[in-house]
Amino acid sequence: MSLLNNYAYYAGAFGLIFIGLYVILTKRNLIKVIVGLGILDTGVNLFLICLGYTSKGTAPIFSRAGLDAELMVDPVPQALVLTAIVIGVAVLALALSLAIRLYQHYGTLDLRKIREQRW
Amino acid sequence: MVNPVLLIAVPLGLAFAIPLLALLSKAAARYVPPVASGFNLIISLLLLPEVLHNPAIVSIGGWQPPFCISLVAGPVGVLFAAIIALAGLLVSVYALDYIREGATGKYHMLYLFLLTGATGVVLTGDIFNLFVFFEILCISSYALVAYQGDRSGIESGVKYLIQGAVGSSLLLIGIGLLYGQFGTLNMADLAEKIASVGSMSLFVPMVLLITGLGVEAAIFPLNAWLPDAHSSAPSSVSAILSGVAIEVGLYAVARVVFTVFGASSIFLFLAFLGVLTLLVGEMCAFSQDNIKRMLAYSSIGQIGLILFALAIATTHGVTGGLFQLVSHTLSKALLFLAAGYMIYRAGSMEISALEGMGRKMPLTCFAFTIGAFSLVGLPPFIGFPSKFLVVRAALATQETIFIVLISVALLGTVIEGAYFFRVVQVLYFCGGRHEKSSNTIKKEESDPPAGDAPVTALVPMFVFVALIVIVGVYPRLVTDVLGSAASELLNRLDYIRSVFT
Repeated sequence: MSLLNNYAYYAGAFGLIFIGLYVILTKRNLIKVIVGLGILDTGVNLFLICLGYTSKGTAPIFSRAGLDAELMVDPVPQALVLTAIVIGVAVLALALSLAIRLYQHYGTLDLRKIREQRW
Repeated sequence: MVNPVLLIAVPLGLAFAIPLLALLSKAAARYVPPVASGFNLIISLLLLPEVLHNPAIVSIGGWQPPFCISLVAGPVGVLFAAIIALAGLLVSVYALDYIREGATGKYHMLYLFLLTGATGVVLTGDIFNLFVFFEILCISSYALVAYQGDRSGIESGVKYLIQGAVGSSLLLIGIGLLYGQFGTLNMADLAEKIASVGSMSLFVPMVLLITGLGVEAAIFPLNAWLPDAHSSAPSSVSAILSGVAIEVGLYAVARVVFTVFGASSIFLFLAFLGVLTLLVGEMCAFSQDNIKRMLAYSSIGQIGLILFALAIATTHGVTGGLFQLVSHTLSKALLFLAAGYMIYRAGSMEISALEGMGRKMPLTCFAFTIGAFSLVGLPPFIGFPSKFLVVRAALATQETIFIVLISVALLGTVIEGAYFFRVVQVLYFCGGRHEKSSNTIKKEESDPPAGDAPVTALVPMFVFVALIVIVGVYPRLVTDVLGSAASELLNRLDYIRSVFT
């Protein structure tokens, strides 16, 4: 049963990742693409958390006698996710501020109409 | 011995000090990047002879590898740190005068973050740390591309950001898969554990890592952002993006493929990809009318050649690839710097608008010509020995496939010669008529000032010229360092051993 639970988390994480990629690839509105980036980030973070999760696990602190290392949640992925969240916030904030400037220049956020640069 | 941590800590601290310093004096803030990169250059040159045969391992926080985040200052890392600091120093001196408009304090801060990120990527021994530094590099380059805030800059900044962010997410998934499988993030520890498992379970993380890093390295199908970003950014930013950022991406690909995975089975694929990247880049560059877009496509071509040389995976091949990388950094940074003031004076990025520039600004055009000749591979400039090494390494493999590929790559060089010589011809030998095209970039300046570039721009350019000629005449100056860097990349067992002792 715990195996099934774990797979459910992975399915959720990769579901979010694929939804994010789908949104980025198909949507034409820049804001929607940025939302897609956010979903992709969330999916990746959830995936990292799943890697260290143990069902009914506790924090990895040897505070009580009789705590088993097997029952502890791996702290490394959580540290990674904290860093990844901060990076994700920075990227999203930069993307949104660029979107504001893009709108000021072009008067639209439709990526089909913003095509002055090409190969 | 100097502690390699200083290479990262000092520029990072100074970068955060810039906004504070700018509160006191705006003029003083712009001198911080040259100081920081000059410091880095000195430190890395001091370190270089010491680490040639014995990499310096720094364990941050006092934990032993593999539990700590370690810095591995081997020949490759310190060599790259020196190149980054050198290019960073010269370009930041150029930017003292070149960057005048907008929030200059923010420009210098972002510029220093870019250098810090790049230095961190090449020195770290931890794959997640590599991701973090990579993100510092990427985020500051997104912001720098859009720095001027004009239409094309913002548009290419957005494109670069979206592609780069997807690439970074793929990279992070790959790192997560590796951690899930092996329970470690230390690259040496990963390399040791990877050697003991089958290759099928490694395929997905490897593809994810190469794809994620390949976006920044501009390997062929992932390089759609590069021509826009490099041509719309201010010229000093283009120089550092072309000369440092994509090289660092390529370093990360090489480190992952050679050291972490030791994946000899995909070398042939990478060699094909390299030649394909080369051909696409050179052919697109040939058909450009805009000089900065031409230089940007030429960067793609050069990246292809370097990737091909690295994928030969013999000592000579990797040495040649690293040499070509150094030569590309010097030559392309010089070309962008020279082109920056040529465009400024001509008021247009069109190649046809540069007619007769050789008489109006002789020194700048001379520097541009040297850079162009070096990139094409004419002796006695640095491009000649580096390309020669690559060709020799490819022939020395005695394998038909590599000989065919290098002949295709040489065809690319012929195309490269064709478009660079065309520009040089326009500069010197085309008529004195000076027609303005519609695509003027500085419309408000109806009459751009005449004369050569200012001294702060000429000095860095001629330092680049001097280095190009000196190393071109005496390639032995660098071949020892490059040789031991190549052997660090190729001998993953030595790398693992040096981290754990």
